[in-house]
Amino acid sequence: MKDDARLSEEETMLRSIEAMLPRFEKNRAQLIPILQAIQEEHQYLSREAMRLVADYLEISPSEVLGVATFYNQFRFHPPGRHQIKVCLGTACHVAGGDIILENFERKLGIREGETTPDREYSVERVACVGCCALAPVAVVDDKVIGHMQPSKIEGLFLQFDLQREQEKAREAGEEADAQAGS
Amino acid sequence: MHKLDPEKRLALLAEEARKRQAQASREDVPTLRIVMSTCGLAAGAAETRAAFEEALERRGLEARIVAVGCLGHCYAEPLVVIHHPASGFPPLCYYNIDPGKARMLVDSFLLDGDPALEYVLGAMVPNDLLPAVTDFPRFSMEQRVVMEHCGAIDPHSLDDYLALGGYGALATALGRSPGWVLDEVARSGLRGRGGAGFPTGRKWRLAAEAPADSKVVICNADEGDPGAYMDRTIMESNPHQLLEGMALCAYAVGAEEAIVYVRAEYPLAVRTIQRAIDDARKAGLLGERILGSDFSLHIRVFQGSGAFVCGEETALIQSIEGRRGMPQHRPPYPVEAGLWGRPTVVNNVKTLSTVPAILTRGAHWFRSIGTEKSPGTAIFSVVGNVTHAGLVEIPMGTTLRTLIFDVCGGIPKKKAFKAVQIGGPSGGCLSGDFLDTSIDFDSLTEAGAMMGSGGMVVMDEDSCMVDVARYFLDFTQNESCGKCTFCRIGTRHLLLILDRITKGEGREEDLELLDTLSRDIRDGSLCGLGKTAPNPVLTSLRYFRDEYEAHVREKRCPALKCRALTAFYIDLDKCARGCDACVGCCPVEAIFTTRGRKKAIDQELCVKCGECVTACPPEYDAVVRVSPAHLAPIIERPQPSEGRG
Amino acid sequence: MIALDVDGRTIQVEAGITVLEACLQNGIFIPNLCFVKTRKRPHASCRLCFVEIDGLDRPVPSCTQRVRDGMKVRTDTEPVRRLQRSAFKLLMSTHICTPRECPTQGRCQLIRTAKLLKVSLKPSPLERLERDVDPVVRLGPLVHYPYRCVLCGRCVHVCGEESGHGLLTFAKRGFNTVVATFVSEGEEGPCAECSACVGVCPTGALTLEAPETAESEEPGRAADSGG
Ligand SMILES: Cc1cc2nc3c(=O)[nH]c(=O)nc-3n(C[C@H](O)[C@H](O)[C@H](O)COP(=O)(O)O)c2cc1C
Ligand code: SF4
Ligand code: SF4
Ligand code: FES
Ligand code: FES
Repeated sequence: MKDDARLSEEETMLRSIEAMLPRFEKNRAQLIPILQAIQEEHQYLSREAMRLVADYLEISPSEVLGVATFYNQFRFHPPGRHQIKVCLGTACHVAGGDIILENFERKLGIREGETTPDREYSVERVACVGCCALAPVAVVDDKVIGHMQPSKIEGLFLQFDLQREQEKAREAGEEADAQAGS
Repeated sequence: MHKLDPEKRLALLAEEARKRQAQASREDVPTLRIVMSTCGLAAGAAETRAAFEEALERRGLEARIVAVGCLGHCYAEPLVVIHHPASGFPPLCYYNIDPGKARMLVDSFLLDGDPALEYVLGAMVPNDLLPAVTDFPRFSMEQRVVMEHCGAIDPHSLDDYLALGGYGALATALGRSPGWVLDEVARSGLRGRGGAGFPTGRKWRLAAEAPADSKVVICNADEGDPGAYMDRTIMESNPHQLLEGMALCAYAVGAEEAIVYVRAEYPLAVRTIQRAIDDARKAGLLGERILGSDFSLHIRVFQGSGAFVCGEETALIQSIEGRRGMPQHRPPYPVEAGLWGRPTVVNNVKTLSTVPAILTRGAHWFRSIGTEKSPGTAIFSVVGNVTHAGLVEIPMGTTLRTLIFDVCGGIPKKKAFKAVQIGGPSGGCLSGDFLDTSIDFDSLTEAGAMMGSGGMVVMDEDSCMVDVARYFLDFTQNESCGKCTFCRIGTRHLLLILDRITKGEGREEDLELLDTLSRDIRDGSLCGLGKTAPNPVLTSLRYFRDEYEAHVREKRCPALKCRALTAFYIDLDKCARGCDACVGCCPVEAIFTTRGRKKAIDQELCVKCGECVTACPPEYDAVVRVSPAHLAPIIERPQPSEGRG
Repeated sequence: MIALDVDGRTIQVEAGITVLEACLQNGIFIPNLCFVKTRKRPHASCRLCFVEIDGLDRPVPSCTQRVRDGMKVRTDTEPVRRLQRSAFKLLMSTHICTPRECPTQGRCQLIRTAKLLKVSLKPSPLERLERDVDPVVRLGPLVHYPYRCVLCGRCVHVCGEESGHGLLTFAKRGFNTVVATFVSEGEEGPCAECSACVGVCPTGALTLEAPETAESEEPGRAADSGG
C-alpha cells in the first residue's frame, strides 16, 4: 500500500522531469544546470531521474552518476520536511558550531547527512553561509539563525511540535467539516 | 544617432538616469537605506524593513525605502541609514536596528524630528552637528577602491551606477583600443586577488595574443573559503562594477562570451548579478554592439554545485563543461586552452571589479596605493575574536597589527591575542611575532601564510592551534577531489593524526610524521588544493609547537578547547546552596545535587558543551574547566533515597 | 629522433613523446600507474613517476613532460625517491594485498614498484585506513575489488574514450572516490567481449571472473557484497 503510493509519487516526478527537459539545450554543458533544476523542484535525484537526463543528453548514465555524486549539492534520497543545516565554517567552528551540530544529532538520534525515519527532519553541515559575524549559525528551513545555543534547539523543536499539532487539528477539523458537508 | 561615439551614448544614458533619480527622490521625503545583503538579512533586516513599512503606514508618513548592499560593518547589522532632509540633520547611520527600534525611530525621528542619537553610529558625511562615521578608525583607516559604493547604492538600480559615472571606463576603452586597456592594466601592476597574485596584465596579454577565433572570460566567484564572503558582498552590493570589469577584460582579450561562476550557496548574489546582466543588456551596455561599437559580449551566470575544489581554475572549467570538477595538469594553462579548448581568462571577482577604477583614474593613481610589488587595496573578511568584525578594505602594506587592533578594534572581552589565520584552508596561522608583517602577497607568503582568498580569522587565547589545524584539515580532506594520491590519502592521514592528538591519543612520533607527510603532500600534489592543504599544519607546528607537545606529552590542551582533554566541574566553595540555574540547561542531565545541596557534574555523562558555564550566575561563577581531564574532582552521585534503581 | 641524457646514459627517442615513455621504451623503469598513451592530457594522478630535470627546481611527474633534445633527466635522486616512497606508502595504506588470490599472479605494478623503491608492501609508519566500501563489488558483469584499486583511472579512460562504451565512471569524491557504473548487478553488456578495462588495470582490481572465495587474508569480510 505504502510502496504503491511511493511508486506513483516517483512516476509523477518522472513525468514532470520529462516535461521540463526540453527547456534545456541538448548539450553536455547543460548537465549540471539540469540536475540543479530537478533537485530544486523535487528535492533529490532518483536513479530513474538520472537515467532520464542521460537519455535526454545522449550520454551514458554512468557519467551522470559520476558527475552528480561529485558535488555536495546533490542528494539521492528525499530529505526531511524540515531541513536543518549547521554551519561549520571557520568562524562558526571557533564559536563552537560542532557543539550545536552535536546537539541536533543527539536530539534527533541521527547523524549529519541523515534524515529521521519519519522523514520530518534532516541534518546537514555546511561551510560558511556568510554570516560569520553572527557565529555560530544554523539555517533552519532557509531561515538563518545567528548566535545559536544548545538551549535554543529545545525551543525550536517545541515550535515544530506545536506547528504539527495545529496542522493535525486543522486537518481533523477539515475532515470533520467535509464529512459534515457531504 | 548612429554616428555617436560610445562616450556620447553613455553620457546620454547617464543623463537620463540622473533625471529619473531626481524625479524619484523629492527633497521633502526622507530616504531609508536598509542593508539587505545576506548578512543583513540574517541579522533580521527583513523584519526591520517590515517594521518600518508598517510604522510608516500607521503614521501615514511617506518615505522612500531603498534596499542597499553591505557596508562591510557586519558587527552592527541590521544597519539603516536615514536621510531626513527636513530635520536638518545629515544622513545618519543607525546600528543594530531591530523592529522595536525601527518603530521607535519612525515616531521620534520622522514624526518628531528627534534623531535618537543613542542608536546612531555616526553621520555619513562630515558636518558641524555630530561626529561622522568617517571619524572612526573602522571607516577612516580603510581605503575603498572596490567597495567604494558598496552599501551606498541600490544594487538593483542601473541608474544608481550610471549616475556615479558607471560604465565610463568601458565607453572610454571602446573609443580607444584593446591595446590601451592591456597597457593600462599592465602598467597598474594589478595582481590577481583570487589567491596566487598572478599579474593580471600579463594574463590578459597572453590571452589576447593566443591565436583563436573565440575566447572566453570567466569570473571566478566560487569563493569556497569557509570564512570569507567579500566576493559575495561585492556581487550583492555593486554588480555592475563587476560586469563593467568583465566587459573591459573581454574587450581587451577579444572575447565575446563571458561567464560568472557563482557558488551554489549564494542565491541572492545569483539573483542580483542576473538582474544586473539583464538591465545592462536592455540599456545596450552588454549584448550586441555595445554602445554602438563593434564589440559584442554575452555574459551568463553558471551556478556551482558545492565543491571547494571548483574554485581552482581547471576544475572550474571542467565543471562548466558538465564534468566532475577534477583539476587538470597545467600546462596547458586556461589562457592557452581553457573552456572547450578555447583561450580563457579566469579572474577573481575583486580583480575584475578593480579594473574600472584603474581605467577611470589611471594606472599611476592605482600604483600610488599599496606597495611597490602589490599595488592597490586588499579586502579581508575579518572574523573570529575581534570587536568590529566584517569586511575591510585597506591599502596593501598595512600591518596586521593596524588592521586587527586599530581598524577592527582588537580582541573583545579583554582577552589576549593569540594568532591570526590568513588565507583560509590554504593559508597559515601566524603568531603575535608576525603582527608587524606587512599585508601584501610576498610578505605573507614569506611568513608561511598566504593572501589566499582574503579570509582572516582572529583568535584569542582560548583558541587551540591544534584544533584549528585539525579543523582546516577536516575541511580540505572533505573537499579533496580525490584524483591524486597525496591529497586523497595524505590529507586523510594528517586528519587522523591530528584527530588523535586532540583526543589525547597522540604519540611522540606523530609530530615528526605530521611534518614529513605535510612536506610530501605539499611537494607532490597535483593542484593548489593539495599543495597548500598542509599549510595550516606546517605553520602551527612551526609557531605553536609547544601546544602540540602539551597535547601529546601531558594530554593537556593549554587553551582548554579540546573536549577530550578537558573537563568541567563545579567548585563547591563557589556554588550557591539551593541555586538551580545550571541544572535545566544541561542537554544530557549530567548535573545533579550533592548531599550538601550544591551541584556537581557527572563526568560520565557530561558532553562538555559548556552551557553550564553560561548558565551559572556571574556572581557565583562556579563552573571550572580544566585540562588534563583527570584534574576534575570526582564527586559521587548520592544514592537515590526513593530506590530508583 | 632526438637525444636525451637519462642518469648519464644517452638515449635516442622520437620527438613528441613524454619523458616517461622515452624511459620505458629504453628499459629504464619509472614507477607509473595512471599513464595511458592515448590520453590527450596527462592524468598525472598517481604521483609515482617523478624525475628531476635540469633547469626545474623540484621533481616533476615524467608523464607530464615532453622530451626535448639535449634534456638531462635523473630518475634516481633522493628527492625523487622520497616522493615516490611517500606516494607508494600512501597507496598501500588503502590497499589490501592478497597475492594468492590476485589475478595478477604477481605481475602487479605495485609489487614491481616496491622492488624498485626497496620498500615493503606495508604502509608503516602510516596506519592502514579503513574505507567505506565493500570488499567485492559487482559492476554489471565485472567484478571489482576496491581494496586493490589505486584509482588510476585507466579503466574509466579506456571504457569511455577508447571502447566508447562509457560504462565505467568515478563516483563520489575525495577519499571516498570509487570506480562505479550505472549498470545494475548481473546486467549483461558489451563487457564480456570488450574487457579492455581488465587489460589495463595495473593491479588486480577488475576481473570478469566469479568472485574469489578464499578469504584467508581477511577473515570476517563477506566475499559477497550483498548489495
Ligand atoms: C583549491 C583552490 C581553490 C580556489 N578557490 C578560488 C576561489 O574561490 N576564488 C578565486 O577567485 N580563485 C580561487 N582559486 C584560484 C584560481 O585557481 C585562480 O588562480 C584565480 O581564480 C585566478 O584569478 P586571479 O588572477 O584574479 O587571482 C583557487 C585555487 C585553488 C587551488
Ligand atoms: S591535489 Fe587534491 S584536489 Fe588537487 S587534484 Fe589532487 S586530489 Fe584533487
Ligand atoms: S580498477 Fe584498476 S584500472 Fe580502474 S582505477 Fe582501479 S586500479 Fe585503475
Ligand atoms: S563560518 Fe558560519 S557563517 Fe561563516
Ligand atoms: S604515471 Fe605520471 S603521475 Fe601517474
